[in-house]
Amino acid sequence: MGHSMRALTSLIPNLRRDLVFPTGGALVLFGLLVSGGLTYSALVGGSADKLITAMLIDAVMVVGLQIYIGNTGVLSFGHIGFGAIAGYAFAVFAIDPLQKSTVIFDAPWGLNEVQYSPLASGLIAVIVTVIVAIVVGLGLARSGAQSGAVAATVITLALLFVTHAVAVNWYELTGGDRAGLSFAVGATLQSRWPIYLTLALSLILARVFTRSRSGRLAQAAREDNLAARAMGIDPKVQQMIALLASVMVVAVAASLRVYNLGNITPRFFFFDYTLVTLVMLIVGGRNSVTGAMLGVVVMTAGRELTRRVAGDGYELFGLGLDGAPLDWLFREGLSDIFLGLAMLGFMIFRPRGLLNDWELDQWLYRRFAPTSGPGGDGDGTRVPAEAADATLTGSVQPMALLEATGLTVNFGGFRALDNASITVNQGEVVGLIGPNGAGKTTLVNVITGMVDHSSGRFRLTDNGNSVDLTSAPSYVIARTGLVRTFQNLRLFSDLTVEENVEAARLMALAHLRSDGRHAGGGAMSRLERMPSIDTLLRETELEAFRHRRAAELDYGNSRRLELARAAATGPRFILLDEPTSGMSDAESLTMVERVRRVADLIRAGVLVIDHDLAFITGICDRIYCLDQGAIIADGDPAEIQANEMVQAAYLGSAG
Amino acid sequence: MARFVQSLLDGLGQGSIYALLALGVAVIFGVMHLLNFAHGELITVSGYVAYWGFLQGFSWTILVPLIVATAVITSVLIEQVAFRWVRGASDFTLLLTSFGVHFVVEALFLMYVSASVKSFDRPGWITDTIAIGPVTIETVDLLVIAATAITLGLTVLILQRTMFGLALRAAAEDFDAARLMGVRSDRVIRGAFALAGLLAGVAAVFWLMRAGQTTPGAGLTPMLKGVLAALIGGLGSLRGAVIGGFALGIAEVLLRQWLPGAVEGLTDGFVFVLIALLFIFRPQGLITVSHAERV
Repeated sequence: MGHSMRALTSLIPNLRRDLVFPTGGALVLFGLLVSGGLTYSALVGGSADKLITAMLIDAVMVVGLQIYIGNTGVLSFGHIGFGAIAGYAFAVFAIDPLQKSTVIFDAPWGLNEVQYSPLASGLIAVIVTVIVAIVVGLGLARSGAQSGAVAATVITLALLFVTHAVAVNWYELTGGDRAGLSFAVGATLQSRWPIYLTLALSLILARVFTRSRSGRLAQAAREDNLAARAMGIDPKVQQMIALLASVMVVAVAASLRVYNLGNITPRFFFFDYTLVTLVMLIVGGRNSVTGAMLGVVVMTAGRELTRRVAGDGYELFGLGLDGAPLDWLFREGLSDIFLGLAMLGFMIFRPRGLLNDWELDQWLYRRFAPTSGPGGDGDGTRVPAEAADATLTGSVQPMALLEATGLTVNFGGFRALDNASITVNQGEVVGLIGPNGAGKTTLVNVITGMVDHSSGRFRLTDNGNSVDLTSAPSYVIARTGLVRTFQNLRLFSDLTVEENVEAARLMALAHLRSDGRHAGGGAMSRLERMPSIDTLLRETELEAFRHRRAAELDYGNSRRLELARAAATGPRFILLDEPTSGMSDAESLTMVERVRRVADLIRAGVLVIDHDLAFITGICDRIYCLDQGAIIADGDPAEIQANEMVQAAYLGSAG
Repeated sequence: MARFVQSLLDGLGQGSIYALLALGVAVIFGVMHLLNFAHGELITVSGYVAYWGFLQGFSWTILVPLIVATAVITSVLIEQVAFRWVRGASDFTLLLTSFGVHFVVEALFLMYVSASVKSFDRPGWITDTIAIGPVTIETVDLLVIAATAITLGLTVLILQRTMFGLALRAAAEDFDAARLMGVRSDRVIRGAFALAGLLAGVAAVFWLMRAGQTTPGAGLTPMLKGVLAALIGGLGSLRGAVIGGFALGIAEVLLRQWLPGAVEGLTDGFVFVLIALLFIFRPQGLITVSHAERV
């Protein structure tokens, strides 16, 4: 029981905030959409039924898009391509053989003979589409998909065009460009219940996904791919999960769309529909499910209005026909231009849409959750054992060790790092100094897996477990227990302070638990040592800003958030890249104190990099000095200050 | 052998147009980090102007400069109306803005001209061919290749010899640094759009001569070719874009030849599959411009 609860909290951090409220919120959204639609139908009469049905199906489709595009930030033009695959799969299996015999009498694999129930056909459509999505997803991962990545967008665009080209040319299966595939009259969708059910379920899926571990990690990677990897997140995995969840919803929506319209041709799922659904998504705000639904309503209403105005605008507004002053406006094409201008206008004036990332359920949660204090109720990311504070007084043994030996890095002909070796023990604060351009940041980048090196080894020993991390990807290094901060701040700027820290914590919990089950030892002790998120925010004096966006923080707070986020992964070692750059001396000192306290709290070793000799000698137990890529001295602060080579390096570069 | 030379020549003819379009895409990408999905609209607008000119009874000698001028003006105008407001925005916003422009232009013609095809006479010599041994070349292909060579030569001159060219290349290398060095971003960007318009204008001349018609959606295909060619070339790289254009043209001709007749319609699909594969395995394009992220 305890075990499964823990597994659940690592998937869904806080039951009420991240499961109960989002589900409720999704149902409220569903209720608003449906009741609004029914009211409109009742007011306008039967002619509105079709419009509302189409809108509800579009809503499912847009939810599908939101799950991927919203959480990962990857702009996909390919989702309607997935829709095409699902739509044709559904049509081929669901249309009765007699009907098919007129168009695709020689379909491959005898598909013209088969007929399944709509439900079974829908399932087949989902399965086929998901298989394609896995292949496409692997390709996207290989291309290094990340927020705004052009390569990823082009791959998805290729998918859209390839599916279209296949649909147009594979007559035997699709009936080609002209005829398409049609259901028999009366064999189409006759009831709205399947739509209601799918819409409700997909809204719940989308909302819960956003709040789940996968969703949060995907969002962290969306905000800053590099920083996410430095926290131990592997964006590829999260993006794949988002893609599959999203494509499932899209496949169902496409099947419903075909079932409702009664036929399918290649252009049903091509550029125009891509534009319509994308505009719906971005008008409301692509990072918000509530926003996406608002976009669906606004755009459906807008398109319907413009279509009718284009037809009989004069009658609609009771204008006389004599002057015909609005002929330039009331004409065909108005609804197309409305769509294009909506996209353009929102991109220019409000690229994050009407609601940005505002969610109904989170707003309700913050308002009405019974025990909402600054900490919220039962901070689910707190480790049950809560042993952190106790270990402070325990005897400090150097259990963990970070060793880099003989690291050499060449940038073209320039040797940025020349046979550099360093070690850091757990519980130690080690400084790395050197004049500008000495190779300090290069060294950090090498041992965090962000720059390739030509030779040398790098390993991390923890509890007798020694792991060779030479050339390991950065997220593996982070998971093994070495986490870094960045010289030029890299926060997940659109997430709140709390969410920044939580993303790091969620990642750590997930892999430490799985490691702990297999290997035990180090991972379990790291788990038990983790301070709660409340403690971390308190230690870094960020409690007051808990629900602020990281982007809104001032410089000092941002620096502290980087520290809190790094500490939340429960690392063995924290690597701070110029943690006080741009700070006054007084601020620097406070920062240093804080670093020490946090490091003590999680009992991590610290490697701190700076070029300010005086500052470093004030805080470190041991210091390395780099010059022109090579370690020219190491020792305790007094030794370093007395070292002539160090003085020469500094005076030489300063003078 | 003769067949191969033939394909190569056909591919060069086709690729010239793609190279011109791709270079424009790359120039704009260089100064704005914008992958311009609206680049094909320069051909759409030029197409309607050509149609209008044709109705006025203009000959192609007048239409050619008219088309080029239209493309340049349209390019600068689109920048002023749409893109200048999203300078420095996220890639996501930039991509969708250019898509928005693409759809708005299409919708404008749909609304104010017509959804139907508007045709104009192609030049009489368009189907003429010259035979050299076993190889037959369309005259228009020769013209395209020659015009492209001249245009590219001119572009190289502009890029190498003028202050504007220097600023543009610097901006393509590192826009922020260039700005700090005193490059006036406003002028460079406007100039880049004008240059891209000029290049697209030359491409439009031959594109329209061959097509002899235009529709509201006519910009889609040239846009895709230009964007794809620029992507093959690695986007940031101007030289890469030109090579990408020729590579795409030749690849298309060869594919069309080798694919069995039944799936010839799939040529475009195959090109897309190849591009997707390229991006999966070499996301930085064929010709790599390294832009290592600073951390």
